[in-house]
Amino acid sequence: MNRITENIQVVDHKINYSNLVFYVIDTTNSILNIDHTMGYDALILDASDPEYAHLVLRKIRGHYNPEFYLKPVFLLNFKEIKDPVLNKMHDGIMTSYDQIPQMAETAKRIFIKTTQLDNQLVPSFEGQTVKKVLNYMYTRDIRTLKPVVDLNSAIGYTYPELSVNFTSTEEPQVLEILEWADREGLIWPDFFERVYLCNNCSSGSLSYREVCPHCNSANSKSEDLVHHFPCAYIGPISDFQNNIDSSLNCPKCNKTLRHIGIDYDKPSVIHHCNNCDQNYQDAFIKSKCLSCEDDIDVKYLVPKNVNIYKLTRKGRSAATSGFLSSSQEVDDIFGTINMPTFRIMLHYELERLKELPAQKTSLALLHLENIFELYNKSGKKGERRLLEELVAVIRENIKSSDVIAFESSSTLYLMLTNTAKENAEQKLKNLSSLTENLVKKNFNNFKVNLLYKVSMLDTGKKAEVQLQELSKEFFA
Amino acid sequence: MEFLDEFFNYLSSVSPSKLVRVFWFFFFFEFVRFFLVDFTTVLLWKMTAVFRKKRVKEGRNLFWAEKPFVSIIVPGKNEGKHIYKLAVSLKEQTYQNFELIVVDDGSDDDTRAICNSLKRNGLIDIFLSNDVRGGKASAANLGLRYATGKFIIHMDADCSYDRDAVENILVPFYYDDKVGAVGGDVQVRNYKQSLCATLQAIEYTDTISVGRISQSQLGIYRIISGAFGAFRKEALQSVGGWDIGPGLDGDITVKIRKLGYQIHFEPTAICQTNVPVTFNALIRQRLRWDKSLIRFRLRKHSDVFFPNESFRISNFVSFVENITYSLVLNFKWYFYVIDMVLNFTSRLVFIIPMNFLLYTVNNYFKFIVFSLFRERKNVGAEYFMLYMPLMALYFGYFLRLVRTYAYLQELFFRRSYEDSWNPEKSSRQAKALRL
Ligand SMILES: [Zn+2]
Ligand SMILES: [Zn+2]
Ligand SMILES: [Zn+2]
Repeated sequence: MNRITENIQVVDHKINYSNLVFYVIDTTNSILNIDHTMGYDALILDASDPEYAHLVLRKIRGHYNPEFYLKPVFLLNFKEIKDPVLNKMHDGIMTSYDQIPQMAETAKRIFIKTTQLDNQLVPSFEGQTVKKVLNYMYTRDIRTLKPVVDLNSAIGYTYPELSVNFTSTEEPQVLEILEWADREGLIWPDFFERVYLCNNCSSGSLSYREVCPHCNSANSKSEDLVHHFPCAYIGPISDFQNNIDSSLNCPKCNKTLRHIGIDYDKPSVIHHCNNCDQNYQDAFIKSKCLSCEDDIDVKYLVPKNVNIYKLTRKGRSAATSGFLSSSQEVDDIFGTINMPTFRIMLHYELERLKELPAQKTSLALLHLENIFELYNKSGKKGERRLLEELVAVIRENIKSSDVIAFESSSTLYLMLTNTAKENAEQKLKNLSSLTENLVKKNFNNFKVNLLYKVSMLDTGKKAEVQLQELSKEFFA
Repeated sequence: MEFLDEFFNYLSSVSPSKLVRVFWFFFFFEFVRFFLVDFTTVLLWKMTAVFRKKRVKEGRNLFWAEKPFVSIIVPGKNEGKHIYKLAVSLKEQTYQNFELIVVDDGSDDDTRAICNSLKRNGLIDIFLSNDVRGGKASAANLGLRYATGKFIIHMDADCSYDRDAVENILVPFYYDDKVGAVGGDVQVRNYKQSLCATLQAIEYTDTISVGRISQSQLGIYRIISGAFGAFRKEALQSVGGWDIGPGLDGDITVKIRKLGYQIHFEPTAICQTNVPVTFNALIRQRLRWDKSLIRFRLRKHSDVFFPNESFRISNFVSFVENITYSLVLNFKWYFYVIDMVLNFTSRLVFIIPMNFLLYTVNNYFKFIVFSLFRERKNVGAEYFMLYMPLMALYFGYFLRLVRTYAYLQELFFRRSYEDSWNPEKSSRQAKALRL
């Protein structure tokens, strides 16, 4: 029991103040598990060990559950250090428990904002991640995402509010997510800096050096070329040097060089490669990736802008009213149509069914719950490959009059014509087990979680309404 | 009509001795040296071809057995646009064991970028570049410094070469150990471009190709053209490479000659070049060439006239022939003109057309006869027939006047040291040191 003031006491890590319970995390708590802090209103993190505090804070803010990532966290015993997470992802710094009242004020403000958030799930990895960041920004009144120099980050910069969801080597994905959010019109870029990334692993930890164009070795000796005007001899300066004194003598005419610009000059420089013995003047500039050790010609490096992103009007309102992804990236997967076309076809199908009441058509939603894990592991390319294979499997097992459209990279709709609900459900069941096996085989034992929901088309409702209802039913 | 009658009357009335007295310049000098001597040696050369054939064949076999590594040096400024064509065309050569060394002498256009990309694509082996211009000699020397071939071939970027040119220019080294350098045959590619170019094409065929066969035979061949010449590397190295020009082509040949090497002209190693298209440009080029006769023959290498340890009779003859026929005769012609004006004033109306006739007949005859000797022509002789009469004017007046002007300028003012062909820094040094 630790007595602080009349009202504020720490009892077994807990402080009760003004109907709020603060939980104090210090090194006596395990880093591995923070689940036991779930039920408390706010956390006080003892930062006297910054490494420990960093890991705990990263765990909280990087958690998928808003109960954790939105929780007010206050730092105690914090000394300013170069740590973007500790510096930017707290809600206040306390020097003593006397400041609990102010912290309580802050926490309450965050709670009010939290209740205003829209909780609808956004059906894509990018969407979910961005929504999470938007939620955090909204509850903290943050309007811009600013990059911060971070030596630990693979690209040299980090956006703490977003990057906290990724490990430092995954930082290039942060740029992709930001580009996605930019395309969705949620944020607006302002140029801040440009980085060059490895074309193999997207790392920005590169070591630049001049190398021999013949063998790529950096082991070289550079010499001035000397031109002796009277006899027109020209060669590296070592041709003119001797072992006895520092004078320069022409090997062709034996004269001593007197005065640069008068009887000789140095028209250029030549490099001699100690590795392959070749001479060269146009050294290549190569960049060695310190992450995957690829040696890359600088012209193949991938330039990326590191921008300061401001929330757009859409971005500001997205936290409270949600947003719909326009999901252009998956529009062009072979065998699918885009959502607007899907809606139109759905509309025509409804018109058709009105004339043929005996016919039944089903609408299905298919959701790949954990495709984000694959995205994390093998990036955009891996994700794309999986989606392509998935569509190929589905296409093989449905009629050519049936259509598929991606709502997002993790959600797709199927319109199964002349198929009753039960048949449709059976079909989807088969499809999901087929797909799961295929993915397991082709993606290194990755186990994809496929979920689906089927509804029957109702000629009494508009196409758009039926889509929304199916989505709501599924994600609720 | 009346004039022609009088003209023929005059001709029939003069005795042979009188004819020689009046046209002594033609009969004693031009006809003897540029027709009789050339004709006899070329004829001999042609007749002895059968005997040479075996030697040449053996040389060629030896050459292919050894397959020596060769360095081709191409120095130049702002030649980027030509380098690509040259590099690609060299891939067509029958002989491929060479490295292509391009030396950029302080180009201020996109030459560097072009050459660097050619190098990256393997079309150039070594690319050397100077940020500051140093002159053609130093550029060639830089190439030589990094060349690793047994033989060095000097080429110009704006020339093109027959498929077997590289092979043919190297074979003579293999049938004669004494050969230190071989010159190729330079033909005019743009002969149709202007009258000026056509006249030069005739000149090149006539005096340069044929003249050089005969000079080579007589052992007095003097100038290996910079456009196409091959050298033993050790010979080039012993003379320290090229010295400051202009006229460095002739200079390097003389220096190698002085070492005791033979200089060979190879008529089957064929290179095509573009000659100046306008008379103005031609005058500038010839003034530069002609000045170098004074600068290099009369001044720099005057030691060949005196008996010393490196004295060789062939060098002496070569120089005397060169000085006589270029310098002395050039001025002697004016004596001839004065002689005619003073002593045959009334006959001048006949003498001038008669001279013209003599020269033209001689030119036709020579051109036709020598055409038969030429193994490969870039164009049929008939194209030039129409232009032959102009050659008397071209040789007799145009080139002679240019030459006179050049000699006087160089003899009295050493104007070659002010030629912008060399960077000023080099010329200043050369002049101060009387090189
Ligand atoms: Zn020197
Ligand atoms: Zn190397
Ligand atoms: Zn890498």
